[in-house]
Amino acid sequence: MTGSFGPTMDRRTLFKFGGAGLAITGLASLAACSSTSGGGTNSSATLKMLYFGEQKAATTIQKALQPQIKKIDKNATLEITAINGTDWNDFIAKVLTQIAAGAAPDLVSVATEGLQQMASKQMIVPLDDYVTKDMSSLKSYFGDVHPALVESMMYQGHLYELTDSYNAGSMFYSTDLYKNAGLSTPPAAWTMDEFHNNAEKLAALGSKTNSFDWVVRLWGSWTSFLYANDGNLLTEGKYSGGDWLWNKAYADNPQAKGRHGGWKWGDPTANSKAAVEALEYVIEMQKANLSPSPDVGGGGTLQGLFASGRIGMTIGGGFWAGGLYNAGMKNGSFDVQTFPTWKSNKSLFGAGGYGIFNTSKNKDLAWEVVKMLVQPETFDLVYPGNVTTPARKSLMTAERYKTTGPEHWSVFWDQLDGSVPISAPPYYQALATSLNQRTTQAISSGDAKAALDGMQSDLEKAQANS
Amino acid sequence: MSAATETRVSASRESTRLIARRPGARRAIRREAVFGYLMIGLAVAFVTVFTLIPILVSLGLSFFSWDVITPPQFVGIKNFTRLFSDGQVLSSFGVTIVLAIGIVVLQIALGLLLAVLVNTRKHKWTKALFRTTFYLPLLASTAAVSIFMGYLFDAKFGLINYYLNEIGLPSVPWLVNPTTAQITMILIVVWQQVGFTFVLFVAGLTSVPTDVLEAAAIDGAGAWRTLFRIKIPLISPTILFATVVAMINAMQLFDQPFIMTKGGPGTATTTATIAMYQTGFQNLQFGYASAIAILLLVIILIITGIQFLAARKLVFYQ
Repeated sequence: MTGSFGPTMDRRTLFKFGGAGLAITGLASLAACSSTSGGGTNSSATLKMLYFGEQKAATTIQKALQPQIKKIDKNATLEITAINGTDWNDFIAKVLTQIAAGAAPDLVSVATEGLQQMASKQMIVPLDDYVTKDMSSLKSYFGDVHPALVESMMYQGHLYELTDSYNAGSMFYSTDLYKNAGLSTPPAAWTMDEFHNNAEKLAALGSKTNSFDWVVRLWGSWTSFLYANDGNLLTEGKYSGGDWLWNKAYADNPQAKGRHGGWKWGDPTANSKAAVEALEYVIEMQKANLSPSPDVGGGGTLQGLFASGRIGMTIGGGFWAGGLYNAGMKNGSFDVQTFPTWKSNKSLFGAGGYGIFNTSKNKDLAWEVVKMLVQPETFDLVYPGNVTTPARKSLMTAERYKTTGPEHWSVFWDQLDGSVPISAPPYYQALATSLNQRTTQAISSGDAKAALDGMQSDLEKAQANS
Repeated sequence: MSAATETRVSASRESTRLIARRPGARRAIRREAVFGYLMIGLAVAFVTVFTLIPILVSLGLSFFSWDVITPPQFVGIKNFTRLFSDGQVLSSFGVTIVLAIGIVVLQIALGLLLAVLVNTRKHKWTKALFRTTFYLPLLASTAAVSIFMGYLFDAKFGLINYYLNEIGLPSVPWLVNPTTAQITMILIVVWQQVGFTFVLFVAGLTSVPTDVLEAAAIDGAGAWRTLFRIKIPLISPTILFATVVAMINAMQLFDQPFIMTKGGPGTATTTATIAMYQTGFQNLQFGYASAIAILLLVIILIITGIQFLAARKLVFYQ
């Protein structure tokens, strides 16, 4: 080996070799860092998809979907890579890191949280042309999916994802604890006063029972109370456009009236009267020992605590049905009701779906896979055991919830009519960071107004920098 | 260079010249030299690729605005001017320094105390047992420890508050109150890291010459006097090394607060590295995040420099 450098190799020569090597390494790393188009060198028949969850689940889904993929193209394969995280902001951060490293996939399964961010950066492509081309075969899909979910997947008049799932922020309650507290099933249009009375009666069961619990996140935290109080963190608006879709896919559907080109999140309203009231309400709940101090994150711990009978009520979506059942709760030991009405019956939801990366070299094939992924027969392959709510109404049946519960599963769908998607603008990551910090600040200091003034300032800066 | 050293060096050169006169010896020396350069080269290449280049790229990026997706744009010193007027980021440096001081002081004091106590044990097996016990937390995954500690210190359902309540004491808001969250964070980091300083100090104390200790004993020095006048001065270079390394580590604190509190409550445990992560990977402002990284590097260099300056007066080299 040493002879290959020749007998006259000296320090200077060695440095020359080293310098050249370092220059190449440096250029290579810079090229990787600055690769804006990323990846794109996939073999023609291998589609790569990113999935939020465990790799074990991703591999199971990958195997289950292979026969369907082969039906589309016998040479095609689907490779699903799981990305872990406590919440969607972790997932999105890791997706972006992967893209920066030049390893952009073809498909992504991403929820409302990341849609506008990816669309605004042109990371995913509009599906308008594909949808228009295949409208006749997609009529049954759109006829089965609530227009609110489809609109939440639009940005600036374009459709970026086909949704297959969603979760509306409803109120789960323990039927066992309700019985022990002498409470009956909450009525369909129950109010905040009724909710509060129920919480007080649950508190009387003893210190080991928490009447209500929640986690700090954009979906289903004190933000649910904010929505019910007819407020939002950002000014609500709609992008113009989208008629190309509504006129063809939802022409006779009254629920599509007033739908446009997606939600346009305007100036921050984080310190509005409605927001301060909502945050003060959950702080007062804690002070009155009706609710413990909340954790930050996705809510896995909360499901465990609920399943162990320590929580009376909490905000949950369809994914709670499978979650609680998997945590050991039997059908009948919990149920669900719409979120209580405060100044309005507005509630929130988040939807999940599939988009195609701009860098994909197999966009046509990816589109065929997206269509396959939203077929009714695919849903249970991807989401076995009610770990989310199907976007297709035809899949919302008594049979589906026979094993896991809850009894009033139809609430998930019914609540969509008064629902607004979570306010996830292109600067969602900054919003999520500020929401976590300012909420925990308010909880520890007891001063909702000061914390929300800080959040308003954070969001104004984030909006200006986006 | 002392006369003795000069003599040794000149003898070594002379012997190299003599060996070089043998047939084939020049080739052997050259081969050895190339091998030596290669070995050094590996270390240099490793440090260059994984430390120097990232620092230089980071320094370069700090003058750009870059969101990963679109090409970087040169913004001059804008990121730095913004940094010095960004209250939240500056506050994260304040949090970092407060936590680092707490961690380093406790880690050094506790490490020294444990090392002194273990060093007084007569039996080898008790020494080995304590050494293993105190060192074990250092081997555990920080992420796993943080998740576990998060459950342990949970204000409502945590085991610690459960037992406090069982003996009639009120619950402590370990991670949900800004002050207690900082104290809890310091305690957890010290619990995991103290094994490092402990092992260094045990080695240092073991290497204190026995004749010096015997002389002190003959002169009538008690245990405390021996500790403070003999042992600690003699291991002061080890203390300096441990303090510098502990401070550098503490200034880069990320895992524990990120996993346990996400930097909260509010920004009470948002360290500079968490602020850097949030700015870069969550807010997609990699240029600004690089500026934060450069400032952190400069602060660490300054603190380390101060430690070495102080060491001139406080550290005793044999």
